[in-house]
This record gives sequence, structure tokens and C-alpha cells, in this order.
Amino acid sequence: MKKLIRFFKAFFLVDIAVGLGVTLKRYFRRKITISYPEKQQVLPERFKGMIRLYKDENGVPLCIACKACQRACPSNCFDIEGERNPETKKLHPVKFDWKLDRCSFCSLCVEACPTDAIRFSKEFRMSTVCKPALRFTLPEMYLEGDDLQRRLKGGPGA
Amino acid sequence: MTSPAPFIFEFLIPLGKIIAVILYPMVMVIIMIWLERRVVALIQGRLGPNRVGFQGLLQPIADAVKVFFKEDIIQRNADKLLFNIAPVLVMFSSLLAFCFVPLGEPIRIGSYELTLWIAQSSVGLLFVLGMSAISVFGVIFGGWASNSKYPLMGALRSVIQVLIYEIPIGLTVLTVVVLARSIDLVEIVRAQQAGKVWYGFLMPVSAVVFWISGIAETNRAPFDLPEAESELVAGYHTEYSGLKFAFFYISEYAHMVLVSSLVVLLFFGGWLPPFANVAALSFLHKVPGFVWYLIKIMFFLFLYVWIRGTLPRYRFDELIKLAWKWLIPLSLVNFLVVVLLKLLL
Amino acid sequence: MSFKDLELNMGPQHPSTHGVLRLKVTIDNEVIVRIEPVVGYLHRGMEKLWESLTYPQILPLTDRLDYIAAVSNNLAYVLAVEKLAGIEVPKRAQYIRVILSELMRISSHLAWVGFQANDIGAITVLLYGFEYREDFLDIFETYAGGRLTINGLRIGGVPFDLDGGLIGRIRKTLARLPKRLHEVEMLLNENRIWKHRTQGVGCLSAEEAIEHGLTGPCLRACGVPWDIRKDIPYSSYEDFEFDVPLSDQGDVYGRYLVRMQEIRQSVRIIEQALDRLPAGDHIAKVPKILRIPAGEVFHSIEAPKGELGFYIRSNGTDKPERVKMKSPSFINLQSLPSMCRGGIFSDVVSILGSLDIVLGEIDK
Repeated sequence: MKKLIRFFKAFFLVDIAVGLGVTLKRYFRRKITISYPEKQQVLPERFKGMIRLYKDENGVPLCIACKACQRACPSNCFDIEGERNPETKKLHPVKFDWKLDRCSFCSLCVEACPTDAIRFSKEFRMSTVCKPALRFTLPEMYLEGDDLQRRLKGGPGA
Repeated sequence: MTSPAPFIFEFLIPLGKIIAVILYPMVMVIIMIWLERRVVALIQGRLGPNRVGFQGLLQPIADAVKVFFKEDIIQRNADKLLFNIAPVLVMFSSLLAFCFVPLGEPIRIGSYELTLWIAQSSVGLLFVLGMSAISVFGVIFGGWASNSKYPLMGALRSVIQVLIYEIPIGLTVLTVVVLARSIDLVEIVRAQQAGKVWYGFLMPVSAVVFWISGIAETNRAPFDLPEAESELVAGYHTEYSGLKFAFFYISEYAHMVLVSSLVVLLFFGGWLPPFANVAALSFLHKVPGFVWYLIKIMFFLFLYVWIRGTLPRYRFDELIKLAWKWLIPLSLVNFLVVVLLKLLL
Repeated sequence: MSFKDLELNMGPQHPSTHGVLRLKVTIDNEVIVRIEPVVGYLHRGMEKLWESLTYPQILPLTDRLDYIAAVSNNLAYVLAVEKLAGIEVPKRAQYIRVILSELMRISSHLAWVGFQANDIGAITVLLYGFEYREDFLDIFETYAGGRLTINGLRIGGVPFDLDGGLIGRIRKTLARLPKRLHEVEMLLNENRIWKHRTQGVGCLSAEEAIEHGLTGPCLRACGVPWDIRKDIPYSSYEDFEFDVPLSDQGDVYGRYLVRMQEIRQSVRIIEQALDRLPAGDHIAKVPKILRIPAGEVFHSIEAPKGELGFYIRSNGTDKPERVKMKSPSFINLQSLPSMCRGGIFSDVVSILGSLDIVLGEIDK
């Protein structure tokens, strides 16, 4: 009896019909595609965009050139030199070279920073056509948004 | 008005019909390119081409322009004549078969009856089946002339597949011929009109076997092993690029349109509206015949793409086993049953 | 032209070799006589590189080994380091590690189903697998900021705590999963073409599997009930109740069934972990510069692909002296010739897919 049922199921192509039914249902379902760039996804809070340096609410740069990020980075992305300001006795960086092409977005530098100066931004548009554009110097580490895109497209000096 | 009339009636109108009936599969091919990509994408849960033109309808034109500009690469040791002839042969056989494919009942314009076919022959069906078998030559030429192991293996597999699946096609077509008493495609449709029930519903086994064999004939999923990308042997058109590749591509779609036309004509009433004998639905008769024909063909083309999106691929030995162990015995038994029932009833 | 002893090359670039793998195949009229994998196209010198990095610096680079299930590499490495250094991980962190591992296992198996089906021709299942995987990638993005290689663990615990919002999101995603799996199974399980292509293909007996050193779902599909999560539990796996799916067929179909069942068991584990999440810290106190006294350790875990292990030898400094990774895909790949012997050529692609190899692991 069971064999007969199996034979009829095979003869009447039941398994294929079930598969076709599944795909037909999916055909009419709403698609999850987000039409970039007209619509954009809301990025989560901890999203790992490009690394940027930040300033505090008064506009004073937070980086104290302690080189914790340089020591933490596994990919050798940083080249930092600091100098002590004679009046305030605080360190500040004079050279902060960062290489975007080596960064693996591992977040070890962000976790190592004691002053929260270096953080992930939400910038994911990191494409460029010239390699020197991927090497950032100190003033360029503070660029964001359209300025950053102009810098990436044009290379150093844009 | 006697002098221009023969010129118009015997030259211009047939020329116009030839152009129309050659354009018809080409237009269907263009629609198919869009349909395939859009439908497969929607089945897969993504959107498919929707940027070029409204809903991506201009995508085939973008594809055609792209393919036109591609470099035409020929192997150094390839047989140039056969290499160049192969795509032409395949295209030629696919398009020529449309000569005898009727699109609808003749239309009256004034005192002239415009027939919606290039020619009507009492052996139309035989010619169509023969032409679709000639495409095998183009495949062999393409595989051989490419001078490479993989296209040759793919071409041989494709040829074996086409030849073996011709047998169930022939047998199921014979059942239709037995009922309609004619091999003329126009007469077969008229016989379905007279018989009130379309042959697809009278002989569902024939229709299904013909459809499955038709899919195998056109090398489409689930029988597309000879041309699948994920198998090593990428098929007879591996070495082709540019416009020649486009020819293979177009002729595959044209062949699909041909098989769909055959299914519709032989089994599903051609240009006849459904429910022809139900008086309440007589408004369906107002729609012209060839519109019904197009609707039915579009359904079968959609079915082609739907099946491609769903089913995995048959391995080659299973493909052959399916034909030898199931389809051919089934179609033989079916033929005997139909003949017996026709004798008895 | 005869097809006797024809040598074919499935080159490094191929749509179905799941990465840059080269297969030298010798066929005799469509029957496979010899098959030889050639690896090394993705070799990046990871093990040598690690000898010049400190222990915390190695951690993000281990992500790139099995890049489809990144947390499993992290887990194996971190457990080995903690064993060597004697660091005690808080219970909450262990539970969160289990949750992350199992989420990665589900997403790895969903990707695998997609690839396997695509190789056999069911092109829609690829997109379905990846669509269902999107939810999991979104969870990882919310948790750690990345989707694929997330650097989701730290030596001593996990980087972030699981808050209520994320827990709710995980639960919602898991609730949606069984229906979606059922859809894929309706498309594949009873499909005659799928069964033709996968049943009886690439068979391996239990003894042969053990001889070859096969691990993971491939081993369990041959009928051997070995799962490191059950037999040598780590990171609190002994607290959870789950079954280990087995199949006695040993062919591609069996491996497919085992992996689909494993997804369901992972859902069970995650739900138990979320229900019983203990209070506590999410990371132990680990010194900034981690110096480990001289010693050696080998620790392995049950990764989605098989047994993934790290051997670390330390010499008292903050950099290891030697790190060796035992990758499951490398060992599983060596059973490919036995599985393919006597089969026909079209089966190579299905069998290779069912082994679930990742070239990042093989070549390091």
C-alpha cells in the first residue's frame, strides 16, 4: 500500500509540484532589497566604519600621542610622533600617519585609546582610484562626510 | 486596379509576413531575456534588473549593445569555417521552423483574407520538428571547431540529449496526429475546435511527456547539464564571445518559443479561447485569436523560467535513464492506449 | 579523440571550488580514476606572522581563517590562550560565547546549503540561504559592528555585553527560522532530482572516515557519534541539552540532513543559553601586556566545519613562540579522493560541496 502511494506520488510529480508551489509563493512575497542610494540602511551604533580622530566639545583634539593605538594595532597602520606642549605640559601629536589600506577594522586601537580620541565613524564609502589617497596625515584624520569623500577621490592635497 | 494588386498580394504581403514572422520570435526573445532575469530574480527574493528603463524593460537592449562591442575571439587552431557557421546554423534552424507555425485564423480585410502564417502545408508539423532537429548540427560544429576538450564534451552530451528526447516527442505528437487525422498544424487546431475538448486535457500524459521532452530539447533546466556554469564542462559555447555567443543565446530562446508554440498548438488549442462551448463566457470570443495564442505562449515561457528557478540539475546518466526507462515506455503505452480508445469509441 | 585517462584541471578559478582550490582530475570515460587537490593559492603566511605579534594582536587575524564562521576561530584561539595563561572566564562571558558560536554555526550552515544547492543547480536555494543569513549578519553587526569577520571575542571574555534589545532581536530571528528551514526542505528534501544527485554519491564508511581523520558533520553523517561539544565540553557546553544529529548513510544526502538538523539543535542551544544567562561580568581582568610563562597547549573546539584546534607554545614573552592551527577543512579535503573513487565526473562538484571546505582555513 505504501509502495503504491509512493509510486503515485512519483508518477504525478508531487515533489516537483510542492517545490514549484514554494517558489511561486516566494515570487509574490515582498522583497527585502534596499534600493541604495535612494534608500539607505540605518547603521547600528557599534558599526565599524572608517577610523577617525575626534575632538571634544570645545574643539580641542582629544589625542594625547600616547601611542597605545600604535602598539595595539596588529597590522602596523600607525606612525605617530608626539610633542609636549611647554605651557600646558600636555602631549599632542605632531605626526599621525594612518594607512587605510592596511586597516582590518579589528577595533584594538579603539579599545586601547585612553581618551576616546580614535573611534569608528559611520563612513563606509572608502573607495578611491589612487593609492596615495589611502594614506592619511594628521589634519586629514579629522575630515568627515563630503570633505572626506573629496579627499578620497582627489588624493592628498585635495 | 489590377496591376498593383498582384504585386501587393503576391510579393509585398508575403514579404511582410516573412518579416513579421521572423520578427515575432525575435521580439519574443527580447521579452524572454527580460522575463527570465526578472522572474528568476523575483523567485530568488531579489529585484532583478529594474534600473534600465521602466522596471528594467530596456535591459535586453543594454545587453545587446554590450555584446555587440565585445571582442570576437577565435582560437588559433580552431576550424574557422565551422566555428563561424555553427551559430548561424543554430539560429537558422530555430527561425526557419517558424515558417509553418500559424498564429491565428485568417483575418478579413475588405475582400482579402490575410492568413496569419507564411505558408500552410499538409506536413507542417513534420517540417517544424525536422528543423528543430537540424540545430544539432550547429551544436556539433560549435563543439568540434572550438578545438578544446570541454566544449567538445559539452557538445556531445547536448547532441545525445537532443537525439534521445526526440523519441518521446515524436511518439506524443503521434497521439495528437491520430486524433486530429492530420499533420497540418492549422488542421490540428481546427480539429481541437471541432472536438470541443483540447487535446491537452484529453491526453494529459501526452502533454506532460511532450513538455518534459521539450524542456530537454532546448537544454533548459533541469536538463541543462551541457551548458551549466558550475559543472566543469561549460558547454559548446564556451569559446564563443561577442556577437556569435549572442547568436547561440538568441537561438536557444527562439527554440524555447518554438517548443512553447508547439505545445500550445498541439495540446492547448492554439488560438482558441478557453471555455468555447460555455455560452455565458462568450465575451471571450471577442478577443482575437492571436491574443489568446500569445497569452498561452507567455504562460509556457513563464513555466520554463519558473521550472528553472526551482529544480536542481539532472546528472547526465540520470537524464538518459529518465528518457529510456520512463518517458519512452510511457509514451509508447500512451500511444497504444490512445489508438485503442480511438478504435473503440 | 578518446576519453581514456583524460587529465582535466578544475583550475584555481572555478565557480564551484569554493575558493582557490585546484583539482587535478584524471578520468576514464567519465569515471574518476585519480583526483588530486592542489592547495596553497591562498597562503598568507599566517602562522609565521603570528610569531611576531602579541597574543591580543593575533586574535583579529584568526577571523580570516574560516571567514564564514569567524567566531569559531576566535573561540579556539582564545580558549587555548586562556588555558595556557590560566585565565578564568566568567560564566556570563562563557554563555555569551556559546550564543555567538552557535549563531555563527547557523549562518555557516545556511551559507553551506546555498552553495551546495547552487552547485547542483537549484539556484534559488542559494539566495534563500543568504537571505535567511542576513538576519544573523545584522545581529552580528549590532553586536560587534562587523558582519563577516567581527573580532567578536577577547582574551578573558567577550568585548560587549548582551543587552535586552539584542536578546529580543536574537529571539525574534530564531523564532522565524524553523519556518524558513521548512521552506528550503520542501524544495530539496523529497525532490527526486536532489535525491538522485545526492543519494549514494560520495559514500564513505565509518571506518574509512575515522581512518582519514574526518571530523565534523561529515563524520557524523557516516554514523560516528563524535561531537567535541558533547564529548570534551568547553566553555559551559555541558550545561546545555541538545542532540547530536547522526545519519547512517555517509553520502552527500546524509551530510545535508545532518547539517539541517544541526541548525535546529543550535537554535535549541541558543534559546537555553538566553533563558539561563547568568549575571556577572562579560570579561575577566587580563593584564594589558599579557606575558605567558613557558609552556604549550593544544585546544580544539567543534567548529561548523569540524574539529578546529590551536597549538600554542609560549616562552615567557608576550609573543608566542609557535602557533599551529589544525584546520578541519584541510584534513577533510584529504578524504576527497576516497569519496570520489568510482564516481562519475559530475559528482566531484557535489562531493566537494558537501565537504564544506573554506580555503582560508586550508591555506592559512
